[in-house]
Amino acid sequence: MSHALDLSASFQASSWRRRFLQPLMRQRSAVVGLVIILAYVLAAVFAPWLATHNPTAQDLGAALQGPSAAHWLGTDSFGQDLYSRLLYGAQLALIIGFASVALGLVAGVAIGLAAGLIGGRTEWVLMRIVDGLLAFPELILAMAFMAVLGLGTENLVYALALSFVGPFARMTRGDVLQVKSQPFIEAARLMGVPTLAIIWRHVLPNVVSPILVQAGMRVSIAILLESGLSFLGIGVVPPTPDWGLMIAEGRGFITIAPWISGVPGVALAILLVALNLLGDGLRDAFDPNTQKDA
Amino acid sequence: MQETIFSLLDVERVYTLGTTGWFRRKTRQLKALDGIRLELKHGDTLALVGESGSGKSTLIRLMLGLEPASDGRVLYGQHDLAHLDAEARKRFAREVAFIYQNARGSMNPRMRIADILAEPVRLHRLCEEQAIPARVEALIARVGLPAGLLQRFPGELSGGQVRRIAIARALAAEPNVIMADESVAGLDVSVQAQVLNLLRDLCRESGITLVFITHDLGVASYLCEKIAVLYLGRIVEQGPTHDILSTPRHPYTKALLQAFPRFDAPLCASLKGEIPSPVNLPKGCRFAGRCAQVQSACLEVDPPLTLLTPERQVACLFPVVNPC
Ligand SMILES: Nc1ncnc2c1ncn2[C@@H]1O[C@H](COP(=O)(O)OP(=O)(O)O)[C@@H](O)[C@H]1O
Ligand SMILES: [Mg+2]
Repeated sequence: MSHALDLSASFQASSWRRRFLQPLMRQRSAVVGLVIILAYVLAAVFAPWLATHNPTAQDLGAALQGPSAAHWLGTDSFGQDLYSRLLYGAQLALIIGFASVALGLVAGVAIGLAAGLIGGRTEWVLMRIVDGLLAFPELILAMAFMAVLGLGTENLVYALALSFVGPFARMTRGDVLQVKSQPFIEAARLMGVPTLAIIWRHVLPNVVSPILVQAGMRVSIAILLESGLSFLGIGVVPPTPDWGLMIAEGRGFITIAPWISGVPGVALAILLVALNLLGDGLRDAFDPNTQKDA
Repeated sequence: MQETIFSLLDVERVYTLGTTGWFRRKTRQLKALDGIRLELKHGDTLALVGESGSGKSTLIRLMLGLEPASDGRVLYGQHDLAHLDAEARKRFAREVAFIYQNARGSMNPRMRIADILAEPVRLHRLCEEQAIPARVEALIARVGLPAGLLQRFPGELSGGQVRRIAIARALAAEPNVIMADESVAGLDVSVQAQVLNLLRDLCRESGITLVFITHDLGVASYLCEKIAVLYLGRIVEQGPTHDILSTPRHPYTKALLQAFPRFDAPLCASLKGEIPSPVNLPKGCRFAGRCAQVQSACLEVDPPLTLLTPERQVACLFPVVNPC
């Protein structure tokens, strides 16, 4: 008996590998992206131990210094340590990126599911709201929400999340409609499977992978928007260690201390490239609609 | 006296087809089923035979309650299918199983075979949770497949394997009635034979009532004790398999038999022409246009299904007397 169990467990593991890991690992660039992102995540998680200074401690005596033994990546105009701020900035960027996408995903998928499953007037109303959200580019929408909600890290997450609701909702609804018309849904109803179980067991698993692929791609957009808004002064508030803020702060000293903007700028660029590589890899590996010729 | 499971009383099914012209909207009526009378008793094995488009699938979908009858009534036991309460609906879901024509499409592609087979067992609480794996293994063994397939996904199985899994799933709920839509069409002859043998053994062993759709009279005669021949939404002949095959009384049945090659009889002229569209049914007998022995009365009168002997019914004004 225990032997049979082991067998089925290894079966499961190997099929997980076959269905998920192998297709992804075949995408070379996705692996590169994944490794870079892992490095960022580690830096963010261990920021308190890796940092050499308090990221918001000002030391005007040591302002505008270049890289040195005391300040590995130099200091900004307030004398804050750029290396420590960079680490904490990674933390903030990743948290805002993933949190806003997760929130937007939950709300958007809920709306899309409701519209696709209930249909009728409910669907019409929900989809008109979604059309309204989709009428504006994400940046404009997020700016409008920030203007209403006010500055701050938490509000930035909500604003970004709201701007992602539309795309997730529309996509989920389309997939739900497509799955709903499949014979196995009717077969389940005929067998007497309760409606909620049909949604949970038969509809959701069949719409989830394109949604996750989309979520992966959205994280990079979220981080870019987050930095952009902070750069424009309508995101997080100083002195929070944020890459967008840091780039904005260094603008005035670009000729005498280019590292102030340069360090967070390069960090941001590398992270975005890595996220896009991974997102493209996920899409090519799991979204049958856009599968490239193998 | 056997207990009656299904009775269909003058059932009709009309589809409204909308054709949008440039300025007006025309709707046409398509009569997929017309005046169907059918009785299914406990332990019956009935084959629905007819060319494609004759309404076999529509009939079975009506009997499953997947579509409403436009007119007439479908009774399951004593209850009208259109007005089942929650309790009766649940019982119906357990007692009547359907095997889809598209067996692969009727299974969730993201579920393992083990979970697909366990679903009806768990749903109807047919055994303890710990006993389910053993139950599932028994099911897959019963349809003659190795237990190794249980961890696969439907997409990884061959056509014949998927059909057998569909049969196993139908058996999982321990139904009284199994309905199957073209379950062997498009399979290799050897695989087809395996699936047919499986179904036949099941019916013999467990006394399951079977409704089997096929366009192949050979398959029908192998599997079923009764045959109902459909033509353009009407049952034109019905009775015990042996009688129908040896002495067909409806010219359409006779033509179908002739189209079906046999060793002991020469091939004669088979059906001429295509099955007409059920949108504009001709006046009179619907088969008149293709009938070899059409007479003038056939173009005027639409023959209803009438009793020839207590067991046989035929819808023809001039039933064939001496066959082929
Ligand atoms: N949902 C539908 N809408 C319109 N016409 C339909 C529909 N389903 C079936 N029909 C028509 O009803 C007739 C019978 O179809 P069907 O029951 O599938 O025949 P069979 O299974 O014998 O091949 C066909 O002419 C078909 O075009
Ligand atoms: Mg059919």
